Amino acid sequence: MNDPVGTIEELLPEYLGRQRWFAGDAPDAVRIVEHKELEEGFRWMIVDADGARYQVLVGFRPVNQPPEFLYGNENAVLGTVDGTLAFDAVLDADLARSLLARVAPGEKADHVRPIGVEQSHTSLIYDDRLLLKIFRRLHEGPNPEIEITDKLAAAGFAHVAAPLATWTLDDSSHLAVVQPYLVGGAEGWALALTSLRDLYSADYDDPAECGGDFAGEAWRLGEVTAAMHLAMAEVFGIKEGDPEAWASMAEAQLARLEEEDADRERAKEFVDRLRAVENAGSAIRIHGDYHLGQVLRTDTGWFVLDFEGEPARPPEERHLLSSPLQDVAGMMRSFQYAAAVALAERGAADHDELVPLAAAWEGRNRRSFLEGYLRTEGVDALLPNVDDRPIALTAFELDKAIYEVLYERSYRPDWVDIPRAAVAALLEPKDQSSERGPLSLG
Amino acid sequence: MSTDHGNNHQVSTDKTSADPRWFQRAVFYEVLTRGFYDSNHDGTGDLQGITEKLDYLEWLGIDCIWLLPFYQSPLRDGGYDIADFFTILPEYGDLADAVHLVEEAHRRGIRIIADLVMNHTSDQHPWFQESRQDRTNPRADWYVWNDDDLRWSEARIIFTDTERSNWSWDAQRGQYYWHRFFGHQPDLNFDNPEVQTAMLDVVKFWLDVGLDGFRLDAVPYLFERDGTNGENLPETHEYIKRLRKEVDATFRGKVLLAEANQWPSDVVDYFGDGDECHMCFHFPLMPRMFMAIRREQRMPITEILAQTPDIPDGCQWGTFLRNHDELTLEMVTDEERDYMYNEYATDPRMRRNIGIGRRLAPLVDNDRRVAELLHAMLFSMPGSPVLYYGDEIGMGDNIYLGDRDGVRTPMQWSPDRNAGFSRADFARLYLPPLMDPVHGFQAVNVEAQQRDRSSMLYWMRRMLAVRKQHPVFGTGSFEVIPSENPSVLAFVRQEGPDIVLCVYNLSRFAQPAELPLQRFDGKVPVELLGRVPFPRIGELPYFVTLGPYDTYWFELDEPS
Repeated sequence: MNDPVGTIEELLPEYLGRQRWFAGDAPDAVRIVEHKELEEGFRWMIVDADGARYQVLVGFRPVNQPPEFLYGNENAVLGTVDGTLAFDAVLDADLARSLLARVAPGEKADHVRPIGVEQSHTSLIYDDRLLLKIFRRLHEGPNPEIEITDKLAAAGFAHVAAPLATWTLDDSSHLAVVQPYLVGGAEGWALALTSLRDLYSADYDDPAECGGDFAGEAWRLGEVTAAMHLAMAEVFGIKEGDPEAWASMAEAQLARLEEEDADRERAKEFVDRLRAVENAGSAIRIHGDYHLGQVLRTDTGWFVLDFEGEPARPPEERHLLSSPLQDVAGMMRSFQYAAAVALAERGAADHDELVPLAAAWEGRNRRSFLEGYLRTEGVDALLPNVDDRPIALTAFELDKAIYEVLYERSYRPDWVDIPRAAVAALLEPKDQSSERGPLSLG
Repeated sequence: MSTDHGNNHQVSTDKTSADPRWFQRAVFYEVLTRGFYDSNHDGTGDLQGITEKLDYLEWLGIDCIWLLPFYQSPLRDGGYDIADFFTILPEYGDLADAVHLVEEAHRRGIRIIADLVMNHTSDQHPWFQESRQDRTNPRADWYVWNDDDLRWSEARIIFTDTERSNWSWDAQRGQYYWHRFFGHQPDLNFDNPEVQTAMLDVVKFWLDVGLDGFRLDAVPYLFERDGTNGENLPETHEYIKRLRKEVDATFRGKVLLAEANQWPSDVVDYFGDGDECHMCFHFPLMPRMFMAIRREQRMPITEILAQTPDIPDGCQWGTFLRNHDELTLEMVTDEERDYMYNEYATDPRMRRNIGIGRRLAPLVDNDRRVAELLHAMLFSMPGSPVLYYGDEIGMGDNIYLGDRDGVRTPMQWSPDRNAGFSRADFARLYLPPLMDPVHGFQAVNVEAQQRDRSSMLYWMRRMLAVRKQHPVFGTGSFEVIPSENPSVLAFVRQEGPDIVLCVYNLSRFAQPAELPLQRFDGKVPVELLGRVPFPRIGELPYFVTLGPYDTYWFELDEPS
């Protein structure tokens, strides 16, 4: 084969634009900055796309024998390169096995399959035993996910899949990691939707009466979350939280909203109330992008995944210490999202009747999560004063909801009403005693 | 084969399998003698009644009958208060009836095991009557006596509703006697070698009669030691080892099934190194199967199976959906207590069913799809399934009968008078048969379901037949096949070339699942009930769709 790099470079912009792990539409300028032939028909490269670095793995097969694994995966095909078909190498079981041996020397597997579609990485499962995560968007320095899971596991927090082997560039940026695969796990999001679908089809007014009740899982998830925060505090240290920083954050986030999204007067009142908070509790290293899609229920309990932070935030910001309530708020938002998405699935027919059920489900699981969280010994010390907790939690929920409004507006405009409604509700001045119940436990 | 009271002809007419490990692949059927069939029309079922219904059990396809206690008893605890180990309760018949039942069962290839209580007797038992006389009689030391009621205070009280202490005062002897269960059930003193021998004699007597083994009731409590809770003591295991040894020395193909309502990791101790009990009940699986269907997700099941340790070669779990007892949440680890609290006790509907006897059908709101799903899972998961009489036709219960009687109503044989169970006057029946419009014998009975090929009974018979064709269900390895859909439970049973894939939809909605079956690349799944071949397994995850509460059993075949 002639050197295919030039041709690939031409195919890349359109290819990248089709990948879920690529942020945005097809880039204007793509340059291959580093590349290597790992073996015959398997090329590794780092590309610069409009200033951002991505990892691309390309496999090649004769063009007249398109392999079975590409059917239905046409998006993974780059195109024809010098008489061969070029495609995303992770789909090719032979190349995927070879990659495993490269990242984790000594590991072997008979069977490999890709799973899911993630925003920042690609995952392969080997023999239902090992998970190879290939980072697509590359950042300078060590990947926070690897650093955090390694240290949390060392500190005795058993609810993460700690790295077994890693693959790094010379500048120590991580390219890939091998972890134990949490076999048989189901995403919290899938479980929540299962629960909600059951609720919306049952003739009960109370989620507690309903077979698919999620509250027990939410409780255990709260416990695991608290344990995660305690381990984080132990490993990465504790600083004093800064209420002024919260207020500025809220102010800045609110400013990013459009006129129709929020009542300016209420937003201002809210920021003022936030400024009046005296004790912000502790600031610790947190998960940073905590929601039901980041937790996996396995046969040995809940596991926490993906410590990379919100993909849309710059890495510097992702490392900042924050209140553990930020993660708690993330999960609260996720409960609302799940309830709303399951509601949207059903269309308009019985929408109005089900709205109170959605609210009841959300409320029940919020309370249950918070109880599990706050009853965990030691977590109290990381949090603001009991009196300040409701507004602090609201501030973080608002921050997250605004982030969601902006995200949905760009990527999934049909969904923007979900977080918009939340922003309005969160800004509403309310008697916060309803949340105070569970929040004052501990 | 032991020679049973000179019945040498039995050898030639015994169709039970010669495999000493038959129990690993057997389906058990729990029978309440009192409630099965009344052959002499006195209102109470009897052993001869069971004999007369053996053709039915053979037709159904079960392998072994488990008889609840049939011994002489004042019946203050459903016969678990035995007053004479060597005599049959007269209402049930006599020894000749027992011998006849065993012979007739064996002639049909069906085995019989019976309940045996080792730990205690009734206070009416002659042994106890003698022991309580004074402190010097020959059996003075056959029970556990003490001057005060303070010893072994670490031992919990099991029946907290009725008992305030494990000691009761006996005025006649002027001492306290020890009882882990009811006050009318004094514990035998296994530290006395005579007691040890006497109980071995009981076991040998019934094995000589032809029984194929025992379900050993309440085994963890045989011994008492200072500073312990009196459960699972090493001495207890030593005695069970001795029992096993003596059984193995004289008999072949007998089974000891332990009732130890404990956590699987503790229960496995009763298998010893394969030198104690052949089988133990797996208790926590049952409430979790119900919970999995209620939650529409597999985790409650896979979680408990993941915590179930491997068992020694030649052993087997006994699994069940329902039995003669209430749904209990025996809480033996902190984690399980938390789990059960969160998932059961806080769930208003599940809570209502705790502590009262319910049958399967009412527990699943009479939804036949759910009842079938539960049975299909039971038949295919590790362990030998134990059915409870009547559940094969979806019988209901009568909770107003109180205590445990609600699930012990007469077997519903036909729409005739007294459900075809007895020709006695209605008022003479030991319990009234169910007569409600949903579960009553007019609606639910064997005769009607035998006429209807789409009945639950026929479904059950077909599933049992398929299970019998595939020993892999009994002895194959077990591996969960992960799926991202939490409502789908899939697993593979494998033993050599025999591979069975089971896929279940725990949800009442249709569900899709992508199963990673790449390692079976090239094989063809053939559905076991209809022998329908499915598309070949390829390099991609295998896609299946399941209707509400659907079950698939596939054999994975080489392509033809």
